[in-house]
Amino acid sequence: MTQPIIELRDVQKHYGEYHALRGITADIGQGEFFSLLGPSGCGKTTLLRTIAGFEGVTSGAVLIDGKDMAGVPANLRPTNMVFQSYAIFPHLTVAENVGYGLRRRTDLNRQAKEVLVGEALEMVGLDGFGKRAAHALSGGQRQRVALARALILKPKVLLLDEPLSALDKKMRDQMQVELIKLQRHVGITFILVTHDQEEALVMSDRIAVMFDGEIAQMDDPEVLYRRPNSRRVADFIGVMNFLPASVLSESGDRIEIEVNGLGRVEIGTDQAPLAGANGGTSVGFRPETLTILYEGQTSNDHIAQGVVEEVVYYGDMTYYDVRLDGAETPVRISMRNLFGRPVLEIGTRARIAWNPGALVLFR
Amino acid sequence: MKGGWLKIYAIGYLLFLYAPIILLPIFAFNDATIIAFPLKGFTTQWFSELATIPALHSAVLNSLLIAVTTAVVSTVLGVCAARAAARYQFPGKKGIMGAIMLPLVLPEIIVAVSLLVVLLQLGLSLGAWTVILGHVLICTPFSIAILNSAFQNLDMSMEEASYDLGETPWSTFRLITLPLVMPGIISSLLIGFTISLDEFIIAFFLTGAEPTLPVYLWSQLRFPQKIPVVMALGTILVLLSIILLTMAEYFRRRGIARAGGKDTGGFL
Repeated sequence: MTQPIIELRDVQKHYGEYHALRGITADIGQGEFFSLLGPSGCGKTTLLRTIAGFEGVTSGAVLIDGKDMAGVPANLRPTNMVFQSYAIFPHLTVAENVGYGLRRRTDLNRQAKEVLVGEALEMVGLDGFGKRAAHALSGGQRQRVALARALILKPKVLLLDEPLSALDKKMRDQMQVELIKLQRHVGITFILVTHDQEEALVMSDRIAVMFDGEIAQMDDPEVLYRRPNSRRVADFIGVMNFLPASVLSESGDRIEIEVNGLGRVEIGTDQAPLAGANGGTSVGFRPETLTILYEGQTSNDHIAQGVVEEVVYYGDMTYYDVRLDGAETPVRISMRNLFGRPVLEIGTRARIAWNPGALVLFR
Repeated sequence: MKGGWLKIYAIGYLLFLYAPIILLPIFAFNDATIIAFPLKGFTTQWFSELATIPALHSAVLNSLLIAVTTAVVSTVLGVCAARAAARYQFPGKKGIMGAIMLPLVLPEIIVAVSLLVVLLQLGLSLGAWTVILGHVLICTPFSIAILNSAFQNLDMSMEEASYDLGETPWSTFRLITLPLVMPGIISSLLIGFTISLDEFIIAFFLTGAEPTLPVYLWSQLRFPQKIPVVMALGTILVLLSIILLTMAEYFRRRGIARAGGKDTGGFL
């Protein structure tokens, strides 16, 4: 990583008795799309607000571009924020909203400011909307105005507090892609707060998963998805099947385990992230790492047997809950609905191909 | 017919409530000094007589001065209290707000008498300012009630967005907060003005040598031949009050609509 634009050093935040941030340490790189992901109350928004300057830290330090931000109020920090409610000023026009941050720029004359506002509106696809009243805009348009208003000041970091949560699903998917493009275009570091794991996976270069005021795991989306370092992270990101397992032997970088329903298998130590004492040993694997074999199909992978207990049809995909022979609970398997391949019925016996490389051992 | 009796009751109730007020303009235009039916004829004599009484004019001026000052002072206090209540959590908040709102339910006569006792004990002389004091006390709760809805409907992140974009807390208040709660402020000014202008009991106890308009009106009721003039004046006051209250409610609602909120209170 190049010189980090934001350095968080053991950031602690107390609200009276409540310990909201319990020692956050992280570096966020220049030009990175970084997400803070976690359930509500995990401290992600508090952390974002300490970076913005709306909240002070109890101890620790927030550095932006190498400068300690202690005592620097929000209006003097090189960050800008897109609020969850967008906070569009309803008594101003779109252009006045977007140009709001330029009020204090005495080095620019009126024409120069108008040009900047025009460019910012064009960047978010709202050219020609300048004269409209802000309170008459739709949700998606407000979002764009909020983005233009924050980006016009060319901040070193753009902070986004659940910016898409107020939009409907279709609009959200569209804005996700637009935000990624926009971030690449302007090259500014984006820090996104979200509780939506899918959104974080789609948009981020790197994700910090937070629980109870701490970062549980910080990795790029693929690592986070494939190799979650705890059962809690695994459970939070996407769908993860868990089956009880027991460790038979460990030698060098190999671990031999016995899994209910999958039998004995050897995995690498890199698949057993860290020792944490939460509720016994289990293995986790994603629904798409298992494949139901149709009649006549063969596979070089391991084969398990089971019975289809539930079928959930999604159009492009079907989810099958299959109880493997010897397992207590069913596992979820996702299959693409390829042309000419029938959807299986409940009660069907099936052969399932799986690969030990897809397993993660939690203990 | 279902609910027929209820409807009749409601109409009867409204008649009982407002019929006396309707009598005001009727007798204000009646060409007789005695307030009694049948009516004698139409005249605007009583209205033109209003213009010829100097004592009345000084009472009107006195009342206007008191009403304007009361409206401004109670609105300023209301803005401070409503913003504090909307933004901050502090110990004893509910108790303090309750104490501020108390004059709303206290009998005015009690407020008036106790203020009078205190002022006299302190050896202060009565005058316009003592009436203002009493009126601010009873108008501030109304201001807070109106401004509370304005501030509660104001999204807190508006102010934060303004800081975030480089403005200071003071310039944010001027550029964002004030314009967004302005309809509430106007509405509070109008209500304070109306209440103070109409208020009798406190003014009666605390006024000095120069009476307010309602106190002057009351003093004129002793002279039967003045009653039609009082009726004429009353007619003007009722009209004025209705206009002011309607304007106040209009501004309060517009404020809520502007801040993008839902109507959650108000008096009308």
